[in-house]
Amino acid sequence: MVDHAASVVSSSIEEETTGSGDSPLRLALHRLRHNKIALFFGVIFLLVVIVCLLAPVYANDIAHTGPDANHISEVINLNGKPTPVVSTIGLPIGPTYHSKFFFGADQNGRDIAVRLLYGGRNSLAIGFMATIVTMIGALLFGVTAGFFRGWTDTILSRLLDLIWAYPALLLAAALGVSLAVGGVNLGFAHLSGSSIFIPSMVIGVVYIPYVARPIRGEVLTLREREFVDAARILGYNRARIIFSEILPNLSASILPVFFALQVAQSIVLEAALSFLGAGVQPPSASWGTMLSDGSELISVSPHLVLVPGIMLIIAALSVNVFGDGLRQAFDPRSSRH
Amino acid sequence: MRMRRAVLGIAGLTTAALTLAACSSSGGGGNNGTGNGPNSQSASPGKTGGTVKVVEGTFPDSLDPDFSYTTQGLEATDMVYIPLLTYAAKEGTAGTQLIPGLATALPTVSSDGLTYSMTMRSGIKYSDGTPVQAADFTHAIERSIKISWGGSSFFTGYIKGAADYAAGKAKSISGIQADNSTGKITITLSQPYGAFDNLLAFESAAPIPSSTPMKVLSNTPPLGDGPYKFGKIVPNGSYQLLRNADFASFKIPGIPTGYADEVDVSVNSNTTAEAQAVLNNQADVFDAGDTIPAQVLPQVMTQAKDRYQKTPLASTYYFFMNTRVAPFNNKAARTAVNMAMDRPALAKLSSGALTPGCNFLPPTIAGHADGPCSFGDPTQSPSAATVAKAKQMIKNAGLAGTKVTVWSETRQPRQNFCLYLNDLLKTLGFKSSMKVVADATYFQTIGNESLNPQIGFADWSQDFPNPSDFYLLLSKAGIQRTNNENFGDVDDPQIESQLATLEKDPASQLSADAAKWQALDKYVADQSYVAVYGYQTAPKFLSNRVNFSGAVFNPVDYILFSTVSLK
Amino acid sequence: MYLLIFALKRLAAAIVVLFAVSVLTFLIFFAIPNGNPALRLAGRTATPADIHNVEVAYGFNKPIYVQYVRTMKQIFTGQIQSYTQHLSVFSQIKRGLPATLSVAIGAAIVWMLIGIALGVIGALRAGKATDVAVSTVSFLGISSPSFVVGFILLDLFVYKTHIFPQVGYVPITKDPVSWFTHMILPWFSMAFLYIGIYAQVLRSSVLDAMTTDAVRTARAKGLSPTKVMIKHVLRVSLIPIVSLWGLDFAGALAGTTLVIEVVFNLQGVGQYAYQAIGALDVPPILVITILGAFFVVLMNAIVDILYAVLDPRIRAGKG
Repeated sequence: MVDHAASVVSSSIEEETTGSGDSPLRLALHRLRHNKIALFFGVIFLLVVIVCLLAPVYANDIAHTGPDANHISEVINLNGKPTPVVSTIGLPIGPTYHSKFFFGADQNGRDIAVRLLYGGRNSLAIGFMATIVTMIGALLFGVTAGFFRGWTDTILSRLLDLIWAYPALLLAAALGVSLAVGGVNLGFAHLSGSSIFIPSMVIGVVYIPYVARPIRGEVLTLREREFVDAARILGYNRARIIFSEILPNLSASILPVFFALQVAQSIVLEAALSFLGAGVQPPSASWGTMLSDGSELISVSPHLVLVPGIMLIIAALSVNVFGDGLRQAFDPRSSRH
Repeated sequence: MRMRRAVLGIAGLTTAALTLAACSSSGGGGNNGTGNGPNSQSASPGKTGGTVKVVEGTFPDSLDPDFSYTTQGLEATDMVYIPLLTYAAKEGTAGTQLIPGLATALPTVSSDGLTYSMTMRSGIKYSDGTPVQAADFTHAIERSIKISWGGSSFFTGYIKGAADYAAGKAKSISGIQADNSTGKITITLSQPYGAFDNLLAFESAAPIPSSTPMKVLSNTPPLGDGPYKFGKIVPNGSYQLLRNADFASFKIPGIPTGYADEVDVSVNSNTTAEAQAVLNNQADVFDAGDTIPAQVLPQVMTQAKDRYQKTPLASTYYFFMNTRVAPFNNKAARTAVNMAMDRPALAKLSSGALTPGCNFLPPTIAGHADGPCSFGDPTQSPSAATVAKAKQMIKNAGLAGTKVTVWSETRQPRQNFCLYLNDLLKTLGFKSSMKVVADATYFQTIGNESLNPQIGFADWSQDFPNPSDFYLLLSKAGIQRTNNENFGDVDDPQIESQLATLEKDPASQLSADAAKWQALDKYVADQSYVAVYGYQTAPKFLSNRVNFSGAVFNPVDYILFSTVSLK
Repeated sequence: MYLLIFALKRLAAAIVVLFAVSVLTFLIFFAIPNGNPALRLAGRTATPADIHNVEVAYGFNKPIYVQYVRTMKQIFTGQIQSYTQHLSVFSQIKRGLPATLSVAIGAAIVWMLIGIALGVIGALRAGKATDVAVSTVSFLGISSPSFVVGFILLDLFVYKTHIFPQVGYVPITKDPVSWFTHMILPWFSMAFLYIGIYAQVLRSSVLDAMTTDAVRTARAKGLSPTKVMIKHVLRVSLIPIVSLWGLDFAGALAGTTLVIEVVFNLQGVGQYAYQAIGALDVPPILVITILGAFFVVLMNAIVDILYAVLDPRIRAGKG
């Protein structure tokens, strides 16, 4: 579940680090602009984000119910027929394609469409936050290890091995169980057990090695490049070299690519965590919790799985394809045509 | 049983079928309460021989009778080990009747209620031919204590000298005298306990060879003397029960000698697949500790109407409300919850497995009452006016906006019950949020007094058919700093004074006391000390290869495999 | 000689990592609020005295490092038992291993073969409709959680159409045909994600290889396209795939199988771990986590060493 698309990128980027010296970013953007497919999917992803941000509008003005409101005993009028939202043996109503219960209800009689949008906010937020955690961690590890080499590299690489080797799903499930009650004390802040920061951090940490390794490889080559030598001759200290030479180069090459792909990966991993009970905590929703809750009723109420499943796939797919477009833009040699 | 809930999936069930004729069977079979084994006249005489296949969602926690504490474990050990007393192999209330097992008769009790004496049957042998002796009973009690059986506090709490033995201060239990030559067993209690007969019917009190070592033997359980013996055991996968041919010669009245030569029990943790296997007749018996998933239920109800029956259990589902902490230290808040709670909705969440109710004592337990409570009729959803009234009560009490945390288990449908409660509390005007705790630590978590849990999920299933077993949860004696069982810290002098007299009365007098228990239960409902919403039922769901009416779903010991016969 | 030192260094590092994994796991479960196992083992009705007796019997009252050392000793002597069932952890793992290996190996073969096929087709038809279809499948795989794929396949092929038998594991030694039919859905549910990755990786490396001088020369010499593909393109492109496969296989064995086993009730090691986590039963969790980590570290080291053999430059760079 973890071994993932980043390896798609790393395999091609790791070996092909030497772009031309002049403004690779501009060249890449130019290429991206001509990749219609990537742009199309990028727009789709943006639309998903916007629609999810509009969740309260939909809830208040169209569905007239909140994401957590139960309607178990309610009977609605469907095509002139009174229909219970939840049957006596607990089976929820399917999609009505009306303003109420557009995508049907769940076991607790909650409006799936409303939860889909609110859940999407959580899924996307986790996707972005986890990615930020991954990127910061991976940069710290990768840049330090690659730039200083030697003992620093050895120790950091072993630390990465530790994260890499730890069975991620086991770790996540274990942390989910252990943190849900007490939350985490970070010293400066206390995270409650139901905070979405917890799954974000778990997911973010799990993916650090997958991004840190290619970054380390990239830095290893960058530090031998002529502009770094020039900076050294000019007497720049190491910190300045890192911030003024190495980081800008990374952020114009592999960072945006990884960022897009990590968002997709994190959203998908959140679903797996939810299945193991370590994702977003109830009553809040995410696409993952909706999927795992619904999977028990897939034969009789397929909408419980299909609606969040398709939404999750659309989001992950669109950002994946967009990320692939970015990769091609930064790495013209493996482009499609 | 208490720990059952803490350990298992949906297995927290001990049973008792309804007594009231009006509420009896829905499907075939019915409460005939007769059908039962070769020893008695059965409506459909079963075929002897063959293999019965049982499918369970969870493997028994252990096959060791002195350690097992779950439904699935009980079903297995009940076939292999015979305690001094046991329950009649019948369905319904008749099945809560104690009969002599390895004892020749029910115990004689001294007038002060402290000394129990009985005699062990002679001629009983373990499956290897070794004779069963009186001292083997002592060994079983000592072993249950030493290897920390989940219910051993019943022994340490009531048998004289057992607590010292548990703490290592004594080498044996001073309160138990067993004479191998005469077979006479005398037990002295530290305090009178009306339900002590029930304790003697625990599988963990069944004699086992005195040579059995003092460690848990889940893989290689001790030898038994029951109608079946263990065959091949694959831990967490499957186990076999093989007919014990000698058992019939013991001639113990009332204990079925078994039909099938072999009972094969296997585990399928995917309950949909588990139910489909019985539906398609690939397996014969569905786990009585599981519920049939909602997505298979429609098929079961149409295609297997004649071999599926909902059996009521002595098991209460409720939300505890902490009477020491705001807002539920205010009776108005508790009453408002009880008034506005939509019990039929919660029954839907259980896929119909819960029967709505509002009294604490469940069906089949003496003192249970059906019908409405002072705050409303549990079988009806509250009207909008009632909900508005409840909301107004909260407002008038100045409690609107109080922060409330709902504590929930992880597993379904329990989590969905709490999701409903969380939404209800918001509707009533509280600022409600949820904490969902891993099932394995849930009851330890809310039983930790320092957390001051305000409200949340709770349930209770009988350890044995006696109301005093339920009232431990609402008595001062149940309040502990950790491992608290009285989650709401209910401490009411009226309850205490009633319990003081009622709990001393022996089990044989229960029916005479029923009216007093019922009055106590009504008082608890009037005070809204708990928010009860229903009583659990369990499925009796068999394949069409076996006789449905002959198979016994005993209210205490669940499905008796020894009564299942192939057609 | 260099290679030997390199291998020894990797070995030493692997031991350090495994030690850290065991300490970390132990700490996580020690830190769980209300996680004191004595509370659960003593039962719901236990009095403080009962709980104390259990604590003494199991040694839970000892300092954490003492408990850690004792537990590790039990692991290394193979004596370790689960708290809740008192079963030998290693015999339980041994029982589950055939199922877990069946899923992981089978799925790895499925994704390797289909991934390669799709990757080659995608590269050969670059830019055409087939390529787009292959890419779509790939991205779908990457974007779908495997438990969802599993549930959808179950519903379609088991509950609705009865094409495949009910879930469960049948030992291959008992009935190879039945083993196979029971494994097909788990394999595909698990492989779907990786098929996408492998197809994409192979597609791009095949495209790269086709532009190399060697291939151009071979083409110019008039070799048939099939021969060029097999002799020059695939041979080069498969190297990264094979190493990736080693790592993914290890990762899948230690991770994804857990989810798949639960969905399909395969009762393998992963499901054993899942149940142990549910019961907060530390010994099985600890052993399985260490074994999983061990396998990942081992495959990682093998891949590294193989790379070092193939490419001497790495020995200097990695440590």
